[in-house]
This record gives sequence, structure tokens and C-alpha cells, in this order.
Amino acid sequence: MSWLFAKRFTVLLFLVICAFFLTVFLTGCQPSKKSDVNSISVWHWMTDRDAAFQELAKRYEAKTGVKVTFELYAPSDAYSQKVRAAAQGDNLPDIFGILGEKRDFSSFIKAGYILDLTPYMEESLGAWKNSFFAKALAVNEFIEGNSYGVKAGIYGAPIDIMTIQMLYNKKLFKELGLNPKKPPQTFAELLEMGQKIKQAKMQGLVSGWGEVWMVDCFASNYAFNIMGKDKVLATIKGEVAYTDPDWIKVLGLFKQMQESGVLANGLVTMINKTAEQLFANDKAVFAFNGSWCVNVYKGMNPDLDYAGMLPPKASEQNPMAIWGGAGSSFMVNGRSKNKEEAVKFLQWLTDRDQQAYLAEITNNLPANKNCLNKIPDILASFAKAMDNATHPNVWGVSEFSPVIEAFDKGIQSIIIGEKTPEQVAAEVQKIKERELAKKRSR
Amino acid sequence: MKTSAYYKAKKVAVNVVIHAFLLSVALTCIFPLLWMIASSLKSQDVIFKDMSLLPKVYHFENYYRAWMEGGFGRYFINSIAYTVSVVVGIIIIASMAAYGFSRLQFPGKNIMFYMFMAAMMIPIPGSFVPLYVLLNKLHLRNTAPGYILCMINVGLSTSIFLLKTFFDKMPKELEDAARIDGCSKLGIWWHVALPLAKPVLAVVVVFNALNVWNEYVLALIIFDSRPLMPLQVALTTFQGEFVTNYPLLMAGLTITALPIIIVYLLMQKYIVKGVTQGAVVG
Repeated sequence: MSWLFAKRFTVLLFLVICAFFLTVFLTGCQPSKKSDVNSISVWHWMTDRDAAFQELAKRYEAKTGVKVTFELYAPSDAYSQKVRAAAQGDNLPDIFGILGEKRDFSSFIKAGYILDLTPYMEESLGAWKNSFFAKALAVNEFIEGNSYGVKAGIYGAPIDIMTIQMLYNKKLFKELGLNPKKPPQTFAELLEMGQKIKQAKMQGLVSGWGEVWMVDCFASNYAFNIMGKDKVLATIKGEVAYTDPDWIKVLGLFKQMQESGVLANGLVTMINKTAEQLFANDKAVFAFNGSWCVNVYKGMNPDLDYAGMLPPKASEQNPMAIWGGAGSSFMVNGRSKNKEEAVKFLQWLTDRDQQAYLAEITNNLPANKNCLNKIPDILASFAKAMDNATHPNVWGVSEFSPVIEAFDKGIQSIIIGEKTPEQVAAEVQKIKERELAKKRSR
Repeated sequence: MKTSAYYKAKKVAVNVVIHAFLLSVALTCIFPLLWMIASSLKSQDVIFKDMSLLPKVYHFENYYRAWMEGGFGRYFINSIAYTVSVVVGIIIIASMAAYGFSRLQFPGKNIMFYMFMAAMMIPIPGSFVPLYVLLNKLHLRNTAPGYILCMINVGLSTSIFLLKTFFDKMPKELEDAARIDGCSKLGIWWHVALPLAKPVLAVVVVFNALNVWNEYVLALIIFDSRPLMPLQVALTTFQGEFVTNYPLLMAGLTITALPIIIVYLLMQKYIVKGVTQGAVVG
């Protein structure tokens, strides 16, 4: 009896397995979809912008008859893997974005996956090119003789931009007896406010300095202000030492801020989410954060009364610089049959009205400089700071990672009173010399 | 001279300490779940101000919004289909393979087994690009069977290892008796080995169901079409690059956690048995 059952079961199992593999085979052998000239596919990772993109796609279809499909793949690290895998299989969509360093970007260009947009940017006396903030475009640009070996040109269109600057809480300013329309303009004024903050037992500046890159960003702003761009770049090139008095002055600012009471407690280990939470809930007077914070604060506390400001100047010799540039960019697939249509769509997407719509819905800074009068004031204040923006990606030289690490950790040590600015400068210089020697020996 | 009251008091004290410790461990495990449920009932601005587990106003509508805005309906069906297919596939293939490795003699048996074991050491993300290229060549990219086959492959090594360990310990006399009764090798596998392996199978089912249910990155890479994506994709709807809608995300997480909690509760008896019998030797 059991033998008979086992036999029947074997036959059944065999049939099930056969049916499964037949299904797999038949499904697998379907011819792959051919690209439709009247449709454009776009891959992106921006979850918070997806609804706005879908709406814009509908508007574009209604206007031109061309269907645009936005496919969202998040989180960003998974998206990057998908793009890399799709490039291997030659399945990239018509439009996509590349996340990562410029080196990754250049490898896609050299493999022929990214279209050079320069001819389109230059059309009609450079109308498309001139509509963007120049610094936003720089991230997607490869200059003549670049170290990546890429033909000079513009290879992407920025969708939005971002800047990182200081913010202050107007309500807490009033409580401290300060004028909410007059944020500190100089570093001395900031330190003076620190005393008041300390006396009122409030928290001063909050930021994600536990994620060390934000400390680096803050220090770099003051380095540009105190010694100017040329001297900063000369230091990176190894021509100026970190023990130079100007660098000690930059490091000394952190000691002064800590002593005056400007810095919030626990700032050294604070992650940006905690900093955002504290500032949004009226628990900190100042914040150092990126323009994305507008959206974050809106979600955390819609009634938050705050404004943006440049970090107060420590020197009058050079302008204050902040980090900023392209936030997200889209590239056109150089192998796509629809590349002309894709370029047309990108031109439309980055046009004034669409950029204003994106800014209004997503609270991101538009890349198109012609729509600033159409966006909320707080966003416009961030966007106006683009004139002061710079970014390590456009400096043309980059510092050794161990040097950056020693510099940022050194600042943390200064804040907690473990080391002096002079000690940190000497340690950083020692690592710099070691790295330079290694490079020379290679 | 120590009295019996002393020993009684000592026993009570030890019990209190043990129970307090176990209770704290249980609370540590259950707290994230309670926090998730509490947060799912708050509003976005309250979530950053009110840290209590009992919100002042309960926003039950978050569950409806999460379901609708995340498009959970379609993804839920997909995830169930993927989980069931993969788990059934793994159970059939792994139990047959494990039984074969344990009981049959064939050339290259050990090499093949160690190759399976070696596969356990390869991190899944390391194989994403080769898998993508392979599926692309087989025209199985962006298809449900392609994903199911990949996930079966992912779960096979561990499952074979667990089941083989169990079959190795199984008394041979039971098989001899079945053979005398006229059972074939397949019959012994079906009538003797599998029923005895229920506790291990429960462990295999739960481990793999959890793995498939929570898998997302491979699906994201293989699938281009959103309608084919599993449930986890719906959760990303609420998670932006800088902004996260925490109440809806927590409501979504509660919804996605429910089926797996149910599976665990249903299998709990067997899992405990499996663990106590040393099924999870590895």
C-alpha cells in the first residue's frame, strides 16, 4: 500500500517539478521588451520626490504625448548596485542618476553609458546651461585635461542643489533678548551670544558632528575665510603645513566656541538626526545643517520659526565659503535609442516652472536659478548662499583620507579639551608628511 | 546550623534574581516591538516630542494610510507567493539532498557537500552582479521564477546542512524496518525521514520564510517592474533620503511583521523541540 503511495507521490512530484521548470523556461524565453520611441524610462532613488516626479510625468505626457515612466529604487546604496548591475547587462534606462564619486561617474562615461550633454547645453547661446547655478553644473562637468581621462564636457543635468550653512531659532533669540532679524555677523558676536546662551542654560549649536564629515565642512568654511582658497588648496597640495598659524587659528575657533558656551552639550558624538530633532523642538539656538533640513523641520515641527545665516566671519580678509553644489543629477543613457527624447524631457524638467513645482512640493533647492522668486523664502535664502558655495569635488585636488580623519578627530579632541590646537596641528602635519612620503615613493 | 527556612529563603531569592533577569531580557526583546506599535499610532510631529508608549491621541488611520499609500495589497500577495514558493522549493530540494548526502553513497559526495557548505561563506551582496548577468542571459531577469530560483539557491546550503546533521543521527533500524515493509528509497524519505524531521523542518521553514519575507535588495536589483516587487518595497515609500514618515513606516513595519510572527507562533512548538533536540547544531 505504502509502496503504491510512494510511486504515485514520485510521479506527482516529478510532474510538479517539470511544470515548474516548464513555466520558468517559457517565461524566460519571452523576447525582451523593445524600447518604445514614445516612452522614456527614468530610474531614481529619491523617495521623497517620487510623487512630484510622477505628477510631472503626467504633465509631460499631456503636453507632448511622450510617456515618461519614473521607477523608484531605494535606498540609495541598493540603487547604486542596481545601476552597476544594469550597466553590466546593458539594461540601463534612458535616464538615470549616478551616486558616488566622480571616479564612478567617469567610468560610466568612458564605457559609453552617458551622453555628453554639452552640445544641447550650448544650443541657443547656451540657454539651457545658463539657466543653472554655475556651481551646480560644475559637479557634472569634466574640464579639459582632467585626471580621469574623460573628454571635456557636461555629462549631467542637475535637478536640485544643496548648501550647508547655519540656522538660528528666532523664538529662542527673542527669549535671549536678541533681535531675531539680526543674527551674528562676526565670530566675536557669536562668542558673545555664547555667553548669553550659557547664562540662560540653553543649548547652543547643534549639528551632526558625530558624523565627522560635518566637522570637516564647518572647519573648511573657516579655513577659506581665514586664509583664502589658494592657501587651503596649497595645503592640500603639500605646499603649506598644517602647523601654519592660520590653520592653528582655524582649530582655535573650536576651542573658543567651546569655552564661550556656543556649542551644545554632547556635540562631539551627536548624529545629525538628533541635532535636527533638538533644533526642530526649540531646544537649540543654532544649527549647522544642509538645505534638506527645511523638509525635515517641516515634518518634525511645522511651527518652527527659524532662518538661515552664513557662519559668522572670523576674518574680513576673505569671503566666507560654505559647501554646496548639485544635489541630485540625471544623466542620459548614451546607448539609448530614445536619447534625443530623453534630452528634451530633461530640458523640460529643469525648466523654470517644473523646477519651481519640485521645490514647492519637495522643499529641495531648485537647480534653475531663474525660479527663486517662485519658491518659499527659507529655500530662497539657502539658494542665494550658492554664491558662497564651494565643494571638495570641484577643487581639483583632494586631501589624503588619513589626514582628513586626523584633522576631524583632532577637532573633536579640542572640543572635549583633550588636546590643544597646536598639538592637533602638529599631529595632522606628521600624518600629512607620512602620506606625502608614501606618495612620492610610489 | 542552617535551618530549612534559610534554604527556602535562599531558593526564593535565587528564583527572584533569575526571574528578574529573564523578565528584563524578555522586556528588552519586546520593547522594540512595543515602541514600533506605539509610534505607528502617533502623528509625525508628536513622534519627536512624545516619547511615551501610550500616545495621547491614537491615530489608527495610519494603518489604512500605510496600506493605501504604500500599495501594500499587491506587494503582500507577491511576498506570500515568493515566500511559499521558495520555502516549498527549499524543503523539497534540501531534504532530498540532505537525505542523499547522509544515506547514499556516490562518487564525489563529500566534495559536493563541502561545495554546498562553501557557498554558505559567500556573502549574498558579493554575488549580485554575477547573478544579474546570469539571469539576464537566461532571460529570467525581471521575472518571478528568476527571483524564486535565486532565493531557493540562497537558502539551500544552510537548510541542507541542518537536515543532514539530523539525518546523520537518525537510527538506521527505522529505515531497515521500512525497507522490509517494501519502501523504496524515496518512500523511506517520505514516510520515515521527513515525519521524523518535523522539528528541523520547522526551523528550516521559519529561517527561510524570515529570510525571503525580509529580502529586498536582490529583488530590487532583479526586478525593474514595480508590480513584481515584494512587500519590503512598500516600506521605502515612507523613507526618504533625509525625511522619513515615521508613523506610516512603523505602521507598515507592524503590518509586515505580523505574518512572520504568526508563522513563528504556529511553529513555536516544533522550533523549541528542534532546538532542544539539537537540530540547530550549526
